[in-house]
Amino acid sequence: MAAIGVHLGCTCACAAVYKDGRADVVANDAGDRVTPAVVAYSESEEVVGLAAKQSRVRNISNTVVKVKQILGRSSGDPQAEKYITESKCSVTEKNGKLQYEMDNKLVSPEEVAKLIFSKMKETAQSALGSDVNDVVITVPFDFGENQKNALGEAAGAAGFNVLRLIHEPSAALLAYGIGQDSPTGKSNVLVYKLGGTSLSITVIEVNSGIYRVLATNTDDSIGGVCFTEALAQHLASEFQRGYKHDIRENPRAMMKLMNSADIAKHSLSTLGSANCFVDSLYDGLDFDCNVSRARFELICSPLFNKCIEAIKKLLQQVRLTADDINKVVLCGGSARIPKLQHLIKDLFPTVELLNSIPPDEVIPIGAAIEAGILLGRENLLLEDEALSMECSAKDILVKGVDESGSDTFTVLFPSGTPLPARRQHTLQAPGSNSSVCLELYESIGKCLAKEEDKFAQIVLQDLDKKEDGLHDILTVLTMKRDGSLHITCTDQDTGKCEVITVEVAS
Amino acid sequence: MLREARQGQVTAVSSALSAASVHCQVEPVGRWFEAFIKRRNINVSASFQELEDEKELSEESGDEELQLEEFPMLKTLDPKDWKNQDHYAVLGLGHIRYRATQKQIKAAHKAMVLKHHPDKRKAAGEQIGEGDNDYFTCITKAYEILSDPVKRRAFNSIDPIFDNSVPSKSEAKENFFEVFSPVFERNARWSNKKSVPKLGDMNSSFEEVDAFYSFWYNFDSWREFSYLDEEEKEKAECRDERRWIEKQNRAARALRKKEEMNRIRTLVDNAYSCDPRIKKFKEEEKAKKEAEKKAKQKQAELEAVRLAKEKEEEEVRQQALLAKKEKEIQKKAIKKERQKLRTTCKNWNYFSDNEAECVKMMEEVEKLCDRLELTSLQYLNEALTSTTREGGKAAVVKQIEEVNEQIRQEKEEAEARIRQASKSSERSTSSGGGGSKNWSEDDLQLLIKAVNLFPAGTNSRWEVIANYMNLHSTTGIKRTAKDVINKAKSLQKLDPHQKDDINKKAFDKFKKDHGAVPQLDNAAPSERFEGPVTDSSPWTTEEQKLLEQALKTYPVNTPERWEKIAAAVPGRSKKDCMKRYKELVEMVKAKKAAQEQVLNATKAKK
Repeated sequence: MAAIGVHLGCTCACAAVYKDGRADVVANDAGDRVTPAVVAYSESEEVVGLAAKQSRVRNISNTVVKVKQILGRSSGDPQAEKYITESKCSVTEKNGKLQYEMDNKLVSPEEVAKLIFSKMKETAQSALGSDVNDVVITVPFDFGENQKNALGEAAGAAGFNVLRLIHEPSAALLAYGIGQDSPTGKSNVLVYKLGGTSLSITVIEVNSGIYRVLATNTDDSIGGVCFTEALAQHLASEFQRGYKHDIRENPRAMMKLMNSADIAKHSLSTLGSANCFVDSLYDGLDFDCNVSRARFELICSPLFNKCIEAIKKLLQQVRLTADDINKVVLCGGSARIPKLQHLIKDLFPTVELLNSIPPDEVIPIGAAIEAGILLGRENLLLEDEALSMECSAKDILVKGVDESGSDTFTVLFPSGTPLPARRQHTLQAPGSNSSVCLELYESIGKCLAKEEDKFAQIVLQDLDKKEDGLHDILTVLTMKRDGSLHITCTDQDTGKCEVITVEVAS
Repeated sequence: MLREARQGQVTAVSSALSAASVHCQVEPVGRWFEAFIKRRNINVSASFQELEDEKELSEESGDEELQLEEFPMLKTLDPKDWKNQDHYAVLGLGHIRYRATQKQIKAAHKAMVLKHHPDKRKAAGEQIGEGDNDYFTCITKAYEILSDPVKRRAFNSIDPIFDNSVPSKSEAKENFFEVFSPVFERNARWSNKKSVPKLGDMNSSFEEVDAFYSFWYNFDSWREFSYLDEEEKEKAECRDERRWIEKQNRAARALRKKEEMNRIRTLVDNAYSCDPRIKKFKEEEKAKKEAEKKAKQKQAELEAVRLAKEKEEEEVRQQALLAKKEKEIQKKAIKKERQKLRTTCKNWNYFSDNEAECVKMMEEVEKLCDRLELTSLQYLNEALTSTTREGGKAAVVKQIEEVNEQIRQEKEEAEARIRQASKSSERSTSSGGGGSKNWSEDDLQLLIKAVNLFPAGTNSRWEVIANYMNLHSTTGIKRTAKDVINKAKSLQKLDPHQKDDINKKAFDKFKKDHGAVPQLDNAAPSERFEGPVTDSSPWTTEEQKLLEQALKTYPVNTPERWEKIAAAVPGRSKKDCMKRYKELVEMVKAKKAAQEQVLNATKAKK
């Protein structure tokens, strides 16, 4: 049994297959692991992928790029309007639906997406050597119902059996298996996705192996293309300096330069310097230029700042500090840029930066893992109520003392835990005492528990004294779906046991 | 590190938790999510493996306490006839039957073995049958059948105590639900699908009932009859024989299966035909159709009425068209006759050689053409063609005289009428000016304003104007669009007359100026209209002009209007100006009223 995970981005699409417990990205027929999401229409055929991207220089009005931005949107949508004005191919409205006009035939965005999905399916199937239809597809967090439906339809038209649509940041977490091994514990993960045309940052709380999005922000004004453009502008000015020709007004030359800049940008992520070479860029003149990584970083420094500021803004929005983030996951092709990784590392000095999986492959791998989980399951259909879970509202803490004798609080049952849940802790008390007292508090947020937050205490009497040992108190907290709490404390040595049940105030 | 309990501290709950659980939106990914949803769907109250284990444990302990029913006939069973024995009863599971779990069967078997094993009985000194003849073989056989899911299903299919009966239609006449409900529940166990719809009750919705019957009509049963196979395949000695047996068995099974399906079918058919709900739904449907039909009929009637109306309208239009055509024909005829008259007159050189006379005659002939009716014209023309020039002349002259006489009479009549009208109009203006239909001065002004405000081409112009009038009028008279149209038309007609009047007046003035008091400009009094003029000196044209100019430059709402106007007219005080203005207004009003009177009179005559 195998399943596929597909990520359709604005600029690129990528497919991963899940087989024998492993998820791997598969390379397409050109040997690339990522396929440009570009579709070129000609009279006789449709070309998807790199070939379409390369030939865009000659066939700009019949080449569809960034189809994801218009998918499932209607003409009144400001995003769609923006896309239409920027698009190089004509988009018309017919029967209330937006459609591309290609060589006098109308092509809907869904059909374009379908072609890309078909290509991804072919890729996956040739790698597996068998027919595979089950797929999990990722969507951005801000996708609306219409867009999801359009994407699902496109995938269905391509012959896929869509198991589920999942959000991109969750897929990224799944790719690293965050919270999947042991279901207890709570952590915050920041997913930083810098894609081709947009930057989206999401903070996800992982609790009991279940992901919950705390905050998310998408900025459509910055993406990998911006870096390429900045580099291309630099190259154009270099050309002007050398040959006294301004090629910025020449769209074809700029297109060539963009392609060259794109390649240079990619190699700068691994090499110290890259060579840009364009034959007959303008007026028969060849262009050759070396760009160092430092130069590139200098050119793009405003962009880098913008990318980093976005993180700070989002953290402020959810009132978290950099210390509250336990992990950072990088995804999106542009997150490969070393400078950017460096800057993020500076922002979160103590945090683990997860970039072991190539950032542009993280999301499809996560999708493939999810596909593997869902494979062979029944009742895949999710009702809306399934997406909403009862969670505990407040932290449950126990008061203790540290070596110096001051009060400390230990979280026994974190807030946001999906219910019903049981948490087990072994608390310790000095062996010289013959009794222990657990004072239980509830509190919200990070503010320390106050005296009025105390809701119960548990006392265990007549314990065996151990001069050079510790009492092990096994504490089990069980919270039901309605939020009522049941606590059992057992002394491991004597077996003495106290049980309380706390109801919710009505 | 936990604290030591203080003296007197005991386990206690001091307050309830302040916050209940909150609903959170979660991401549908990961295996823990799946596990969570699964647990929730099967309604496990707590999410712990331990609890599930406990449950299993308790089940097992339940098995140990499983009450095995004693099967009194056990010892008398013939092991040879194992096919006809009740395997559940043999294992002591007669009370659970097909609901028994694999575990329970195992446990029951164990218990039976412990109790009935030949070795054990031998030790107890009991008589044991030889080899397979002992009744213990039945237990073994029973276990063999029930522990194998396929064989067990085969046995379950022909469960000897299952009631295969189908209630007849007559049985269910009175209490349909009581009769059929248990039957369907009983047969539901054969269903391949897990959730079998219930028969429901009288209040079940149409969808529920429909789902129920469609389920049962497409009943997918797992019941099979391999257990009843006549021969056993294993007994066959060669392949051919085995094949033959198989074939026989297959045929028998198919037959039985068919019977079974027929049974179910009969059951559902019976239920369907007896179901009071179906009857109810059918009646409802019928009533609905009836209502629809009625509605359609009504619609058709309405349509017919509409068509008739349209036809009528069409006829009226046709008639109007015809009338118009006739009129046109007549017009043409008149035109033709006139032309004829003219040409004949012309041919005869207008009956005279004298130029002046000729011209006069020409005029008279023209008058004739205008005034005469078609018949008289025809008559005249006939007369003209039939006679000579002299005779023609006489006829024409006679005709002309007649016509002139008529014109004169009409003129006199009209004059008399005008005289009368002017008299009455004077009366009416003094009494408030509402000559026709109480159009006061204010209303007239309002009307003119409205007409200007809503120019021709406005949508339903006259209604709008009427509304405007009604809204703004101070008299409180409700006017319809028709009134307004009439008034406006009459006003329009009046205008040229007024102009004529004014022109005449001016001419008179001029004559007076130049005739009576020549070389004196300021001696032209407009006394004619100043009925009760007082001692104030008459207004000169110059002054009149200045006053009019001033009235125009200082509109009504100007503060201290009259002072300013007086200042603009040298030699006249404010009082004088006001008086003069009032006179003028009265004059105009009187004239208007008179004209209206005349118009109304003519209209009435018509």
